[in-house]
Order: sequence, then structure tokens, then C-alpha cells
Amino acid sequence: MSAQAANAPAALATESATASTATKALLVGAAGLGLTAVGALLGPDKHGVVMSYLVGITYWTAIAIGMLLLILIHHIVDASWSAVIRRQWEHATQAFTWLFVLFLPLLILAWVKPGFIWPWMNEATPLHGGHGTVGTDVLYQKKSGFLNLGMFTGMTLGFFAIWIGLSHLLKKASVAQDSDGDTKWTFTNRKLAAIGLPLTALSLTFAAIYWVKSLEYHWFSTMYGVWFFANCVRGALSISVLIMLWLWTRGDYKGILNTNHLHSIGQLVFAFTVFWAYVTFSQYFLIWNANVPEETFWYNLREVNHDGHTNQWWYVGLVILFGHFFVPFLYLLSYRHKVIHSKVKPIVLWILAIILVDVCYNILPALKDGHGDSLPFFSLNLLWVATSVAGIGGVCAWAYLRSFPTTKLIPIRDPRIVESLTHHE
Amino acid sequence: MAHVEHAASAPAILQEVKPAVLPRAVLVGHGRSFSWITDKICGIIEGKTPAWWWWCFIVACFVASFTVAGLVYLVATGVGVWGHANPVNWAWDIVNFVFWIGIGHAGTLISAILCLLRQKWRTSINRAAEAMTIFAVVCAAIFPVFHVGRIWYAWYLFPIPNSNIIWQNFRSPLEWDVFAVSTYGTVSVLFWYVGLLPDLAVLRDRFYAAGNKFRSFLYGLFALGWRGSNRHWSNYEMAYIILAGISTPLVLSVHTIVSFDFAVSLLPGWHTTIFPPYFVAGAIFSGFGMVLTLMLPLRAVYGLEDLITQYHIDCMCKITLATGTIVGYAYSMEFFIAWYGANPYEGFAFINRAFGHYAWAYWIMITCNVITPQFFWFKSVRNNTALVWVLSIFVNVGMWFERFVIIVTSLARDFLPSSWGYYSPSIVEIFTFFGTFGVFSVLFLLFIRFLPVMPMAELKAVTPQADVHGGHDHH
Repeated sequence: MSAQAANAPAALATESATASTATKALLVGAAGLGLTAVGALLGPDKHGVVMSYLVGITYWTAIAIGMLLLILIHHIVDASWSAVIRRQWEHATQAFTWLFVLFLPLLILAWVKPGFIWPWMNEATPLHGGHGTVGTDVLYQKKSGFLNLGMFTGMTLGFFAIWIGLSHLLKKASVAQDSDGDTKWTFTNRKLAAIGLPLTALSLTFAAIYWVKSLEYHWFSTMYGVWFFANCVRGALSISVLIMLWLWTRGDYKGILNTNHLHSIGQLVFAFTVFWAYVTFSQYFLIWNANVPEETFWYNLREVNHDGHTNQWWYVGLVILFGHFFVPFLYLLSYRHKVIHSKVKPIVLWILAIILVDVCYNILPALKDGHGDSLPFFSLNLLWVATSVAGIGGVCAWAYLRSFPTTKLIPIRDPRIVESLTHHE
Repeated sequence: MAHVEHAASAPAILQEVKPAVLPRAVLVGHGRSFSWITDKICGIIEGKTPAWWWWCFIVACFVASFTVAGLVYLVATGVGVWGHANPVNWAWDIVNFVFWIGIGHAGTLISAILCLLRQKWRTSINRAAEAMTIFAVVCAAIFPVFHVGRIWYAWYLFPIPNSNIIWQNFRSPLEWDVFAVSTYGTVSVLFWYVGLLPDLAVLRDRFYAAGNKFRSFLYGLFALGWRGSNRHWSNYEMAYIILAGISTPLVLSVHTIVSFDFAVSLLPGWHTTIFPPYFVAGAIFSGFGMVLTLMLPLRAVYGLEDLITQYHIDCMCKITLATGTIVGYAYSMEFFIAWYGANPYEGFAFINRAFGHYAWAYWIMITCNVITPQFFWFKSVRNNTALVWVLSIFVNVGMWFERFVIIVTSLARDFLPSSWGYYSPSIVEIFTFFGTFGVFSVLFLLFIRFLPVMPMAELKAVTPQADVHGGHDHH
């Protein structure tokens, strides 16, 4: 009791600092979203702004899905070392509600102005090259049972319902255990994980298909959901490292976190670097090797213009190849680079940046000029990507910080908490 | 440069830490001692050869003779004795190759990937699984080697310049297979052998003490002078972890390249981008299926319940469930994208799989690979060893049919309807494949008779008495 009283001023100061940081995050979010809104309403290229916003929402939703997956995997495998970090994932996934709110403008726009973002939503949308309209396109007609506004809306609502529901239920049971220390909460979350993992796998796959892949609805790849999964988890792990370092710097994690936690999460970042490369290479290689026009056009758009000249996206592709794989792969081979704060921080920031470039690479080339060539990477759209990412990211950070002080820092009565606190090789 | 370490003064929240009690499962039952473990495992080798072993060995040799006879007949007559006919010019040989290579994945997965993931439960099953890997690779290699027809030219697969200027087609994934599989086989043998060294030395010493100088000499020869010194253990641990690091990408690469055998083509049903991870997941799935098939009878026959506990069976069942579900995801995604892609040939290939002439094979595959593992959700099923064993057989059957469905259905109904056909294996093919189970069994029986089926030192390391903290909570 007396110890608690002695700690009270320090706790209050920490809580106040968190609230202040949350307010700052919200202000950044509001500023970013405000600027994006100005661009969308008054800018010269409204389409570019909206697509940039889609980049932002896809990017942050991917990271939140990754966090959710990490919680689910933690529970299903009865993991120990990650118990001290799990509570932060539980806070971070509270952002789903706000991500849903932030997705609504796109959904409303889809209904108000069909075909503006996803061309197949309006059958009158002309096809490039004067090949009729979407409605007369036999390829669209074949897929129209899946690619239609009603299904898109219903599925998107379903995705968010799954993610919001799971994240709330998982956090609820986890926090409840802090009070009563009952192992039934561990089993509740384990069961939730068993149901949640296939649901999340399917929902993230179809979200990637609907939101991103269908921007070029002629194109298809069975690997796409796996590619999105790899980015989700990799982004979530990188943000987790940043959270760990932030909490360490603040002093919250001192005495809780040890070198081995950073080493373990660093190893996972490394593993998912390889996994991402494996998946992305496999997709590219199999399409390149087969050289079938109905598949290669998606990569061609990102390599050459109609006149045969290399476009900017080709160089972006190279940046992704080296930046997404070779740089983090070689860097993270070192033990020290995984555990020393000043060395691990730059690489996770780099990875987060390059995931954003990857998301841009998948979305923005759908913006085309009159020749059907993708608009260049270096354009005003990058500004809107920056405002959208900052805006949505600010709201997500606020949602995390808002949830943060409402619970204990770590799940104090988790059966594996001691194993986690004493985590060693 | 901050470097995270334990803080000298614990934060206040640590005083509130009061974990709920949920003990971890023990990895060695009944608190067995070190000497009990040694006696139990060495006893399998040192004791009199049991009658059942001889019966099994004789039957396995008989079954293996089918492969020998089939291959002799093939070489003497020509590759036409197999049931291949246009348009299915590639069927059981490649099906069987992929089937056995897939089974060969679990061993190195358990040894390497689970080692890197610090999954201590692997210690009871890794030795036998590694042995299984090597024997499965031997069985797998039979098929492509003999499918070249003129077996005496099989060395053409290797890039050896020769007077006929025959250069290998390096753009063919079949050529990549040669390197991938041979590298994988070599590293798997090395990994297995390095792990065996301390145990071979134990057997050397025990046979010496028992006065059996000949066997002591043989085990000593292969133990490479192992004395169990700190220096030996230090080098051993380093070699083991390096081999684990090398083996991990190898495990993934082998089946990735096997998947490329099909995916690089333009044939509907083969050319699909998810093939690499889907094949790897399938290989792990089938590998664990076979591990369960082999280990459960071994556990019963030799009374190894304290070493292969219910927890081990649970873990294996759960991995089988997880990988089976991933395979189910891949099947669904293939089907969905075949429709979504709106390519009529691709769509037809999948409709034909499910409802065409080979629908029976397709539904066997779905039943065995997608539905069967779902039973492992239930603890009551996992606790029923006999049922787990039966389900593991279903997994093996299902994975053979998966390869059959992929390969034969796509070839039998290709682009040109006038050339469509229906493939049926010849009796020579059936015998040759059937015999490989004999080849595998002969090798496995020899393994359990002459080599320690479990790594004794590693098993001892996961017992409570080996815990430096004395088995209490604090690690």
C-alpha cells in the first residue's frame, strides 16, 4: 500500500505524459487528415488524393492486422517471451474502430461516385485504348458476381467487424485476467485465436483483393493474400520494436525488457524479411517466366510506358528489391543490430518506410494518363500519401495512447509472464 | 548507445506480478533419470533382436523386391512399360517423386526450424524424423533417375562437359531439382550424422564395457573419437546451429523448386503463383503425417511413452492441423482465382478436377487433407493414439492424391480436346511404387535396430534435473 502511494506521483506524471503525447498524435492526425481533405476538395487531381488516401488506410490497416495476428499467434502457440509485449499489441489493435471510421469516406465515395476509385464499380467506366466500357468487358462480366458494390460493401463491413470484434474480445479477456488471475481467460483467448486465425487470414486476403488487387481487376495472382500477410506481420513487428524502445526510453519497460526480447523480435523481423522476399520473388518470377500478357501487364505498367520507355515505377521496383530485402537482410544478420537500440531503430524505420513504398507500388500505378501509362511516382501524390499516412497514423497512435493508460503495462497475471520477464536464450 | 539489460531496481509493477498457475507439460514423463533414458534407448540396440522385427524385415524386403523387379523390368524393356501415353507423359513417376520428397521435409524441419524456434519438444522425435527424411529422399530419387529411360545416362543430369557437347538445360526447374535435392540430401545426412556423434560414442563405451569389442570398434569408428569434452561439446553445438541455419532455407527451397516443376509451365492448374508456399506447407503436412505414422507404433512397441508423451503427440497433431489448414487455404485460393481470373482454360481445369473423370481422386484429396486434420481440433481425438495413427494414414494417402490430382488431371485434359485421355497406371508402375514402401521400411527397420532412435543427450537436456534453475519458475 505504502509502495503504491510512493509510486502514485510518478504514475500520475507518466499518465499525464501519455495523455499529452496522445493529444499531440491526435493533432498530427487531424492536421494530416485536414490537409488531405483540402487536397481532395480543392486540389487539381482529386483522384490522386483519394488513391493516396487508400495507400494510407491500407498501410495502417495492414499494420493493425499484423498486430492482431501476433496476438492470435501468441495465444495459439502458448508463447512465453512475447507476453510482456502482448499488452501493447492489444492496445494498438484498438485502432481498428477508428480505421473503420476512416475507411467510411472511401465507402461513401464508392456509393456516391462509383468507379472513381475502383473502376469496376461503374459499368460505364471506359476501358483504356477504346475497348468499350467495364460493363461490356467480358472479363468483368465473368467476375461481376464478386466485383460489385454490394459485395464490396458487405465484405468490407465484415472484415472490420471481424477485426474489431476479435481485438476487443482478446483485450477484454486479457485485462480480465489482470484482476482475477483466472486461467480460464487464457483458454478463452486460446479458443478465440483458434477461430480468429482462419477468419483473419481469409479477411486479410479478401481485403487485399478488394481494396488493392481489384484496382486492376483484369489481373490475378493466387499469392496476393500471402504477400499482404507478409507485409502485415513485418510492419507490425517493426512498430512493436519502436513501441518497445519508446517504453524503454520513458522508463516503463526498465526492469521488464531485456536484450533477449529485442533479439527474439529482431529474429522475427529477419524471418519475415526473408518470407516477404520469398513470396514476392515467387510471384514475380512465375509471372515473368510464363510471360502471359494477361498477367505480365500488371508488372509492365510498373516498368515501361506505351512507347517502350522505362518509367519511374521500374526504379521504385528496384528500390523495393534492394530496400525491402537486401538491406534489412544483410543488416539484421548481425546480433548487435538486433539488440542495440541505436542500431535496431533505423532499420525498423527503414522497413516501415519501404513497406509504404511497396503499398504505393501496388496502388498508385492504377492512376493512369490518357495513354494508359501509370502516372509517375514522383508527383504531387507523394504529398497526399504523406498527409494521409500522417493523418491516419496520428489517429492510430492516438487510439493506442488512449487505450494505453487504461490497463496494466504488462499482463501481470498471465501464466507465462514470469517466463517472459526472465526470457533468455 | 543503449543496450537493454535488467535494471538494478525493479519497477513497481513487478511487485504486482502474480501469474496464474498453468504448468507447462513435462517433456520426459515420470521424472525419468539420465541413466534410465540411456538404458532405455541403448536397450533397443543392445537387446536381442525381437521376433516382430524379423517378421517386419522379411515382409519389408519382400515388398522392396517389387521395386527392384519393376526397375529391372523397366531398364531391360524400356520406359514404355510405364502407363504413360499422350497427353499424360508424366504421371506416377513424378507423383511418387514429389510424394516422397514431401515426406522428407519433416525431418529437417523438426531438426532445423524447430531448433531455431527453440521448440524443445522436438528432441524426442527429431532423430527418427531425420532418418525418415534420408530414406524418403532415397525413395524419391528412384523415380526421376529411372524416368530418364536409359539409366546409364543419368549422369547427364550433372553439368559435366563431355565429348558429345550435351549441355544441361539450366532454365529447366527439373535441372534445379537435381541440385536442390542432392544438396538437401547431403546436408540432411550431415545433420543427422553430426547429431548422432555423442550417442554413437555412448554405444561404443557401453559395448566396450559389455565386452563386445567388435561392435565397440564399429560404433567407435563412426563416433570419430568423441570424448564428450567441453571442447567437443562446444564445437558440436556450434556445428549443429550452423547446420540448422543452412538447412532451414534448404528445406524451403527444395519443395519450392519442386513446385516450380509445374508452376513455370503454362498448363492450366499448374501455372499459379501460390505454388511455392503451398507446396512447402503440403510437404510439412505430409512429413508430419508420416512422423506420426512411424513414431506411434514405435512408441507402443518399445514402451517409449515417457519419452514421446501425450504433449509430443499434441504438438505434432497441431502442426498437422495448421499445415493442413494452410493447404486448404491454398486449394480454396486456387479455385477462387481460377474463377476470378476468368480464363476459361484455368476455370475448366478446376471444374474438371472437382467434377470430371478424376473427381474421385479430387474428393479423396479434399477429404484426407482438409477435413481429416480438422479432427485434431479436439483433445479427445488427440488423446486417442490409435485414432491419431489412423488419421495420419489418411494424411499420407491424401498427400499422394494431391500430387496425382495436380499432375494427372491437368495433363489428361489439356488445351486440345482431341488429344484428351485418361491415364491409368500400368502394373509395373503400381509394383514399383508399392515396393518403395518396402525400401523405406527396410531402411527404417535397420535404423531402429542399429542406431539410437532418439538423441539421448538432447533428451536429458530437457529434463527437470538438467534445468540450471532446478525446475522452479525462475528461468
